[in-house]
Amino acid sequence: MDREIRIQAEPIDAERCRFVVSEPLLEGGARRFASAGEAKGSPLAVALFAIPGLAEVVVAGGTITVTKTAPGPWQAVGRQVGAAIRAAFAAGGPLFAPAAAVSSEEDERLYGRVADLFEAEINPAVARHGGTVELIDVQDAMVLLRMGGGCQGCGMADVTLRQGIEALLRKRLPEIRGLIDVTDHSAGANPYVTASKK
Amino acid sequence: MAEPASRPRLLLLLPSTTYRATAFVEAAHRLDLDLTVATDQANVFAAREPERLVTFDFARPERAAEESRAFAARHPVRAVVGVDDDTVVVAAVIAAALGLPHNPVAAALAARDKHHQRVLLSGARVPVPGYRLHGLEEDAAAVARTAPYPCVLKPTCLSASRGVIRADSPREFLAAHARLVGILAAPDVAALGTAARHYLVEEFVPGPEVALEGVLDGGRLHVLALFDKPDPLDGPYFEETIYVTPSRLAEAAQRAIAECAERAAAALGLVTGPIHVELRCPDRPRLIELAARPIGGRCSRVLRFGPDGISLEELLLRQAAGLSVPSWQREPQPVGVMMIPTPGLGLLRSVRGLEQARAVPGIEGVELTAHPGQRLVPLPEGSQYPGFIFARAPSPAAVEAALRRAHGCLAFDMEPE
Repeated sequence: MDREIRIQAEPIDAERCRFVVSEPLLEGGARRFASAGEAKGSPLAVALFAIPGLAEVVVAGGTITVTKTAPGPWQAVGRQVGAAIRAAFAAGGPLFAPAAAVSSEEDERLYGRVADLFEAEINPAVARHGGTVELIDVQDAMVLLRMGGGCQGCGMADVTLRQGIEALLRKRLPEIRGLIDVTDHSAGANPYVTASKK
Repeated sequence: MAEPASRPRLLLLLPSTTYRATAFVEAAHRLDLDLTVATDQANVFAAREPERLVTFDFARPERAAEESRAFAARHPVRAVVGVDDDTVVVAAVIAAALGLPHNPVAAALAARDKHHQRVLLSGARVPVPGYRLHGLEEDAAAVARTAPYPCVLKPTCLSASRGVIRADSPREFLAAHARLVGILAAPDVAALGTAARHYLVEEFVPGPEVALEGVLDGGRLHVLALFDKPDPLDGPYFEETIYVTPSRLAEAAQRAIAECAERAAAALGLVTGPIHVELRCPDRPRLIELAARPIGGRCSRVLRFGPDGISLEELLLRQAAGLSVPSWQREPQPVGVMMIPTPGLGLLRSVRGLEQARAVPGIEGVELTAHPGQRLVPLPEGSQYPGFIFARAPSPAAVEAALRRAHGCLAFDMEPE
């Protein structure tokens, strides 16, 4: 494969970095890998877990969110992640095993409950600011979602995510372990709030 | 699910337009603090999550304190943290009302008001530029005749160089004054009341400028980073661009800067929390501004502390909540950030060259905070950065070179007005 793969690294904090890739990594849905063991059968996930200090890989559409446990800057790890992505594309073939193969009954039950909450409460709420929140998947009781409209790139998106959506979900479904936002916020064209010099 | 009672509750004051929401919210979650976010615009979940989301009018600190008292009666609060010039004052008022440790309200107000700050600093013999306070109702031509040239016209209530204009002659003074009147009449500024009807005329101090990032702990200053600003800030506007740390100034000069900053904080009555200090160093340091808040924009992203590389925001929240602070020591590697200059007045269509900029050796990230279709307004009227470039390299010179090279790769397609 000789097409150019463009990768944009967007560190979220010291532990998490989102990589936005110019080519789709996973068609439909999302996958979360919490260990090298879970990565078996998914060549790109295996390659990423070969990088020392990586704790979690979440992939959805054209983004990969990587969590590392090792302290230190993202620069060196980012280069290795980029190299692994490019090598996986160059090798050809599927990058990840199909998601359905690993979905548990409990995750399926949670998915339905979370989807109901998204439809009945969460999306009507964010719609007041022109926003949308799409439920991508539930894996190991982690909710994967993507924000759109006024939420995408909004300066207050993380406040809405943590203090609103996550709080509501944890209250209604205490078995939920957390939320993973796979939104490419840099692509937000109409955020409800834009940051300014303050 | 009920939260364990032992988790300390943090009341975090976030203006809706802050660049720092994610950094502070994520730091609070990492520390497992019971977080309540107060914003000036109601969040869509505020009614559903009243323990976690509250709405305050930051322009009315006393009212915010009243509401905080009622809130804290139901949900005890361990600490109150503001993140910008306005909310640190509100945080001080709330903390005083709740009996929580914080800077005295008078100190927070002194740091907020550029004129009051200069009065206290010059009274304490902290070197500051010569200054005079004027009202907009005064005859500008008369003020122009007596101003010391070169001078700087500066609003007392704005930040990030907004409205700051250099004048080298009475003619330039009058042009700058006319522009300043327009800026102070903008709705968001006029809402500040009497503060928006005054300005300082200040002696222009030539020479290199630095920014000191520090934390006060019982009045003692821990220097977290001293940034060089290698781009000359000679006016007529004072757009911040490149910050690089560690500083390349001599050790003795750096000590003098830290001593000046510590004396200034003491003169204002500040005892705890972050300070961001800007100084000119023609020979000895002259203090230009001191703010009782951390560094602005997304600049803190390059700062990491202690063996685990914790963020500036985590460090500040640890201090505020009374948790242990593993280290005040920044990692030794040179780092830098460039606040991307606003390319002109108009609508942003697109930005080209991002991939090339990100590929420059030493560049850790390029983050665009402006979105396509956004109206960009340059200084002195503007108040937004199009984005930030972050670098990390073996030497401060290499950091600076990487930032300049990456910026050179970017091209902004604008629809001019």
